[in-house]
This record gives sequence, C-alpha cells and structure tokens, in this order.
Amino acid sequence: MMVWAVIIGMGVLVFLNRYVFLEPRLPVRLSSNARQFLGFAVPGMLTAICGPIVFMPEKQLNLQWDNPYLISSLVAIGLVLYTRNTLLSMLLSMGFFFLLRWWL
Amino acid sequence: MSKSHLPRSAFLRGAAAIMPLSLATAPWGLLAGSMAIEANLTPLQGQGLSSIVFAGAAQLVAIGMLKGGAGVFSILLTTLLLTSQHLLYGMSMRSVISPLPGRWRVGLGFLLTDELFALTSQHDKQQFDRWYALGVGLTFYIAWNLFTLAGIVLGSSIPGLEHIGLDFSIAATFIALITPVVRNVPTVVCVAVSLFCSVLFSYWQWGSALVLSGLAGMTAGFICNKFQGART
Repeated sequence: MMVWAVIIGMGVLVFLNRYVFLEPRLPVRLSSNARQFLGFAVPGMLTAICGPIVFMPEKQLNLQWDNPYLISSLVAIGLVLYTRNTLLSMLLSMGFFFLLRWWL
Repeated sequence: MSKSHLPRSAFLRGAAAIMPLSLATAPWGLLAGSMAIEANLTPLQGQGLSSIVFAGAAQLVAIGMLKGGAGVFSILLTTLLLTSQHLLYGMSMRSVISPLPGRWRVGLGFLLTDELFALTSQHDKQQFDRWYALGVGLTFYIAWNLFTLAGIVLGSSIPGLEHIGLDFSIAATFIALITPVVRNVPTVVCVAVSLFCSVLFSYWQWGSALVLSGLAGMTAGFICNKFQGART
C-alpha cells in the first residue's frame, strides 16, 4: 500500500512540476532576461545530471584513470566532436564503456 | 526545420527524431525495471513507476530509498527537488504550449522530459508543431515503458543487473546532447560551473544538488553572456 502511495504521490508531483508553468491562467510574463537565462537550461541541467554519475560512481569521488565512467565520457565527447553523429557516438561510447569495465 | 501542415507527417518526424535517444535509454530503462524487482516491488509497481511517474532519475532514487526503508514524505520531498528542473522546462516552453487547448497542455506537460525539452526547446512560435512534440514525447514514453518491462522480466531472472554500470547510458546520452550545444564562451562557462557544482554538492550529499548546480551553471552562463554583450 505504501509503495503505491509513493508512486501516485511522485506521479502527481512530477506532473505538477512539468505542468505548472504551462497553465495559461498562472499570471507570469517572462522578461527577455528570463528567456536568456532559460536558454542555458539544456546544457546547465543535463550537465548537472551527468556530473555525479561520471565522477562519483558508487557514490565515491573517483578522479583516477581507473574510473571507466570518466574515461568513457571523454571518449564520448571526442566521438561527438569527431563524427557529429549522436546515435553513433552514444552506441560506440557505451560499447567502449562495457569493454573497459570488463577489462579493468 | 520547415513546419509541416500534415499532423501525421509531423508526428512521424518527431517519432523519428527521438528514436536514437529512445534506443540509448534502453540500459537505463532496464536498470529501472530490474532495480524495482531487486527492491522487492511487484512487477506491477515497477511498471507503474515508469508509466505514472515517467522520470528516470527520480524513479531510481525512489527505488533506492524504498529499499533503504525511507518514509513516504522524505521520498516525495526528494522527488520534488530532483525533478524541479522540469519547472524550468515548463517556463521555457510556456510561450508555445500555454496557448494550446487543455488536453494538449496536459498531454505535452505529462510528456515533458529532459529529452523532449532538448529536442523542442529551440523552436519558436512559428517552428513549434504540437504533433511533432507529441510524436517525440509519446514515442519516448512507449520506449521507456517497454525497456522497463524488459528490465522487470530480466531482473527477475538475472540477479545483479544493477551492478554492471547501466547508468553510464544516461551520461552517454546527455553528453551527446550537450556537446553540440557548447559553441560559445558563455555555454562553456555554464557547463563548467554546473559540472563542478554538481560533483561538489553531491559529494556533500545535498538532496537538491541537481537543481542547485544546474541553476548555478545557468546563472554563470547568463552573467557571462551579459558581460560579452556589454563589451561588443
């Protein structure tokens, strides 16, 4: 029962987070500064999600060369810059990651 | 991108555009499904998380907390903080989605993920096509739920699936989304600050590490942008 309460509660909260500013009756008007600020949402937020995954596997800070997450991320960046192909870069870097983990 | 007047072709274009990202979240979805089983949730509850909540990071954290015996309130508070970047997405998409009829607002609002935002945030009023956005969002929703289902099925038969590093797929996906956007100094500053703060705040175990570091990065990028504008 408690698990379902958590699931429904989370569903409601996440939906409210997503919906609240899409509601036209909510009286907000965005200034040009606010728009410029929000223009940084994709790089800012997505980077913040990646940071702990890459640098802190197993919840421990790991800046060593034996951290496969870190090395594979650098490879992923290189691949995107070199190939300019999103899908190819994702697939190759994931393949590289699993090989590396298996090898280390 | 030229605006298509045919709903079906716009929908299909959206579905095609999100396909690479949908496939790339396969390991992440498998993880969400198998971890739910590992944490003694029923298969229906595991699937319910993906179909009702539909937010990967929050789902994984909530499963971990349920497993650790956390209370309902603390799980919900963490969810609220962890998914508050969606407030920014909503704010940013407000000009194009809020004039739409209610069912479109609710539908696209429900489907507004990091990935949908990444694909449609550059569209202005002329370029934005509701059918394209629906194609993106719905395809991603179906893919996410199918991968969760696969994770639930596999998780019950292969134990230890959560220890093989499936979470790298989300990093690989987001790196592929971020890297092409980083084209000027303010964006570099934004990414650098966000990255540094996210690691530092997570190291300090702040519940709201994600949204605070994202906001710090965005602020840094914004300020840098202002300075550049003032000089030229």
